[in-house]
Amino acid sequence: MQGPYRIGVDVGGTFTDVVCIGADGTTLLAKAATTPQDQSQGVLDGLARLAEMLGLPLAALLAETERLVHGTTVATNALLERRTAKVALLTTEGHRDVVEMREGLKPERYDLRLPPPPPLVPRRLRLPLKERLRADGRVETALDAASLDAAIAKLRAEGVEAVAVCLLHAWRDPRHERQAGKALRAALPDAYVTLSSDVLPQIKEFERFSTTAVNAAVGPIVSRYLGRLQSRLQEAGFRGPLFVILSHGGVAPVEEAQRLAAGTALSGPAGGVAAALALARAGLGENLVTFDVGGTSTDVALVAGGEATLGRGRSVGGERIALESLDIVTLGAGGGSLAHLDAGGLLRVGPRSAGAVPGPACYGAGGTEPAVTDANLVLGYLDAERFLGGRRRLDRAAAEQAVARLAGKLGLTVMDCAAGIHQLANVAMAEGIRVATVRRGVDPRGFTLLAFGGAAGLHASAVARDLGMARVAVPLLAAGLSAWGMLQTDLRYEVARSLADSAGLPEEARLRNLFAALEAEARARLSAWMPGTPEIRRGADMRYGEQVFEISVPLDGVEWSALGLPERVAEAFHQRHEALFTYALRGEEVVLVTARVAAVGRLPARPARPLPDGAAAKPLGTRRALVAGGMRDLPVHTFTDLAPDQIVAGPAIVESDTTTVLLLPDDSARLDRRGWLDVTVGRETV
Amino acid sequence: MSLSADPVTLAVLENRFRAIVEEMGEALLRTATSQILNSSRDFSIALCDARARLVAQADHIPVHVGAMPFAAQAVLDAFGATIRPGECYLLNDPWHGGSHLPDLTIVLPVFDDMSGQPDPGPRAAASDHRGAALHFLCVVRAHQSDIGGATHGGYNPSAFEIWQEGIRIPPIRLGEGGTLREDLVAMLALNTRIARDFRGDLMAMWGAARLGAKRLEELIAAHGAAKLDVAVDAILDLAETHARRIIGAWADGEYQGEAVLDDDGHGATDIAIRARVTKRGGTIAVDLSESAPQVRGFVNSSWPNTVSAARMALAYLLDPEVAKNDGAFRPLSVTAPEGSIVRPREGAAVTLCTSHPSNEIVEAIVKALAPACPDRVMGGWGRRFRVAIQGRDPRRGRGFVWHLFHARPGGGGHAKGDGWSTAGEWHSAGGLKFGSVEMAEARFPLFFRRHEFRPGSAGDGTHRGGLGAELELAIETEGEARANTAGDGARHGAAGMAGGQDGAPHHYVLRHADGTERVLKTKETGIALQPGDVLVVQSGGGGGWGPPEKRDPAARAADATEGLV
Repeated sequence: MQGPYRIGVDVGGTFTDVVCIGADGTTLLAKAATTPQDQSQGVLDGLARLAEMLGLPLAALLAETERLVHGTTVATNALLERRTAKVALLTTEGHRDVVEMREGLKPERYDLRLPPPPPLVPRRLRLPLKERLRADGRVETALDAASLDAAIAKLRAEGVEAVAVCLLHAWRDPRHERQAGKALRAALPDAYVTLSSDVLPQIKEFERFSTTAVNAAVGPIVSRYLGRLQSRLQEAGFRGPLFVILSHGGVAPVEEAQRLAAGTALSGPAGGVAAALALARAGLGENLVTFDVGGTSTDVALVAGGEATLGRGRSVGGERIALESLDIVTLGAGGGSLAHLDAGGLLRVGPRSAGAVPGPACYGAGGTEPAVTDANLVLGYLDAERFLGGRRRLDRAAAEQAVARLAGKLGLTVMDCAAGIHQLANVAMAEGIRVATVRRGVDPRGFTLLAFGGAAGLHASAVARDLGMARVAVPLLAAGLSAWGMLQTDLRYEVARSLADSAGLPEEARLRNLFAALEAEARARLSAWMPGTPEIRRGADMRYGEQVFEISVPLDGVEWSALGLPERVAEAFHQRHEALFTYALRGEEVVLVTARVAAVGRLPARPARPLPDGAAAKPLGTRRALVAGGMRDLPVHTFTDLAPDQIVAGPAIVESDTTTVLLLPDDSARLDRRGWLDVTVGRETV
Repeated sequence: MSLSADPVTLAVLENRFRAIVEEMGEALLRTATSQILNSSRDFSIALCDARARLVAQADHIPVHVGAMPFAAQAVLDAFGATIRPGECYLLNDPWHGGSHLPDLTIVLPVFDDMSGQPDPGPRAAASDHRGAALHFLCVVRAHQSDIGGATHGGYNPSAFEIWQEGIRIPPIRLGEGGTLREDLVAMLALNTRIARDFRGDLMAMWGAARLGAKRLEELIAAHGAAKLDVAVDAILDLAETHARRIIGAWADGEYQGEAVLDDDGHGATDIAIRARVTKRGGTIAVDLSESAPQVRGFVNSSWPNTVSAARMALAYLLDPEVAKNDGAFRPLSVTAPEGSIVRPREGAAVTLCTSHPSNEIVEAIVKALAPACPDRVMGGWGRRFRVAIQGRDPRRGRGFVWHLFHARPGGGGHAKGDGWSTAGEWHSAGGLKFGSVEMAEARFPLFFRRHEFRPGSAGDGTHRGGLGAELELAIETEGEARANTAGDGARHGAAGMAGGQDGAPHHYVLRHADGTERVLKTKETGIALQPGDVLVVQSGGGGGWGPPEKRDPAARAADATEGLV
């Protein structure tokens, strides 16, 4: 493989995956254990491993690397585990409970025994500023310096790490927020200060305040981490740009991810969706369910008609983040999920995970409880000697002991208990796919299950059968697909502006000026990130006069140069309204509330090279494993030895250094030369 | 081909039905034009089968959960075999399928072949009891900003008969051939004060119903109508089994519970709702006949509303996962004599009933069942006390009607934790949104000086109730505006449960610019508001659960540092 290299790095709960694409389009995957206390260590370990595989010193590899894209779960984990920074919220006096009131809404309508979640910012740290703007931006009460000083004194005494400044109507006029921000930065130079008018300059205070509070809560953590990573990479010899993949699936430079840390909440799983979109473009099919099974969790997303769903209604860890993001369902079941007995004596799997440390019992690092991976080893699906290309020998005896302890309590044989754990993991994963498909009214049976992540291959066929899905695809690069996907997506910067008067549609010149200003801002931002001319995507949030909710109207198809732009924009809205809600009111007033521009900087992709022809390979050997209720000798194929179009009939095992695919009876797998194992799933439930 | 559905298909369809009603609700929320719908979500969506059985309902406002099938049934009763594809039906009258007049309900029939006419011939003979090829009814109910009558905003505390409460609409054929009848729409619009809102909302309701119909047609095309019918039967039966299994685990017995209304606004005070609940095996019989007789004011509950309130109570006590459909409510029976406050004679004033006595009916039933399932009951949720303001907006130079949804009351504590603050009443349970203050200030001549939690309002308990709110709202209309109030709970707070204490009741004050002020009653009309007047609202807290002395001292200390007591 030759440079210049591009490297994608995906930090999962258990493994850190590093994928490198060379100048000729060849790819290489390196894996290292994730280091939860400081993820940047695992990233450096992974890069060192990659350099070793390439036979290069790390500094030489990094010096020849033109781009590094990173997906991080730092923000996600902080929110899910509620280990966020100590945050204060400065807000308009008389309105300090906006974020905890949640507009009066409570999730789970019929669950009146659901305890309310502790607020992200406790009430005693939600401090009033004496100030007030009017809805039209006029100053009703000027910002009172004494109230600001009092708040700062309290913040200093409390030792907060971050401050969210959230004032009413600040989207309309940010002057008070900026004044407060300036004073805060001067008085508390170490604190992460974020303003609602910067994070989400849009009307509706709950969404704006909540998103800003989340930004403050994860900002210091994400900033510190990315800063540390960047300096470690520079010390190791990296000179190119470090990009971070964001929740919307596009990438941005580190500084942007530090500024808008809330936008990294789905950074980790976004790479998998980017990969699925790239594979859809490569001919895998337009309708995919991504099934990314890692050590700790499973991420599921839909690609329908070749497009992924985006929305602005996302919550992570119960906190509302109104930034644009992919629609990804995450569930707590993965290879590291631990099996245990619940209070009633029922066998359960997850959501607790063995994590990277100590990991499953079979890692021999001190784990004693049985994880799904332990069960898979006991069942014969994994080769203790070949795991991670033989770099990590699995301890079969330790796995058996861990399962045996649980089996004893249940009065089961070790094998039956392991089979139960494997099956429960399948059920949990299938349920996650139901949430992403059936609960959204989508029948998964017309979709292909795209299985990736280290542990998906052992569960994909059974899960597909459970859901009636007829086709599974497992990419050669399954174990590092998310990291690969990060190299298949583009730079993206979004800028939006709500209109001050919110009445009608601006006339020709004003409308053009509005978009032109946003485009200029987006272009300027993007040109600071990369040379070249970005692609401009326009859109608008629009509604009829008396409606309150806007709909997103893509304006990319609208002819922009000729006169009559407002009419064409209005017509685009009518058509979208009709498509979504069955009717349009062409005589009614049309209001443009928010103009949106995204600048997309195409990062040149390197197409994967088709696999060369070769002779059909014979199985490497056999492995004794439990399939369909009986022990059988399964033929074991090596992924990389298969020839394109070679057919492997189930039951069988196909494995590489980093992933193992279990084919069940009646499955038929064919290696597609474009780089994936195409599995036609048998019908019988086994 | 077998008509019975495999378990995967059944699960897909059950969720598909729910996804359709959710999508319809989302469409209505996003397209409606009046504040009460688009900001506060005061609407409900249901899907019924051709026998008017509830198949699926979106999780919007629980008070409507059991009432929607009455609307579907009323349309079937009135039009039966003459119903054609492409038609649209409308009603609101509580003695003809409605709950109270402000709730307009659209019923849209879905046939297996929407293009053609129903074929009453061979199909009727060959088919089962359903006769024609009607398979589903999409039901969209939305609370109107105004429904005519003596006062603006739909609530008339002075009314002592229904004709003073608004226009009564029995089931009418509002549309045919895929279009609405403009003459009828114009007649209805003429009877409301803000015709523009009325028309916009009606279009949004009709659009939502048609969206549901479109999705159901797709489903019929994919699976075949006959298969869907069989699946519906199976889905309802599964919910029944699920509900009976849960109820079966509660202690059998005959139990009593009581909840009390402040007044009817016409002289009757401390009006009791009494529930005698008999729980045997998998069945629950609720007898409300010991409740107060019918009253003069508008706190009488129409029968569909009473049944719906009882179903709401049951839904809260079951596991939240139980599908809310016809099957889940089969274990429940409700009785009350005509002439009672919970089953008034035709012509009674009833407009407040979806709030009050709905809340009291739920609370009386939950209280009764506390000994049967102590870990399932919850402290009382807050009462409703609404204010509707009518005036002119100087910035836009036109009239408006605005409904107070801010300052939500608190929810009740329960076995698993404290109550939710500002999450609302029994009848909404966190389903009514108060909407953005920024948006309200931008669109109405109102200024929100203060909108925060009300410390000390929660009922104490092992797990305390949620907090109510404090609101100071300045009026900035062009000239004098008028307000009506409609509500209850200024004397009786949300009940404590299983040893917990009651939440604080509501306390609303009108303060004039000169500093004079007076306490607002829960049922007033024609309150004059001058520019510069301020409404000072303190809403009630939720009831506590369990004895207060068992509250964790750390939780008590945290309440103090957080400024909640």
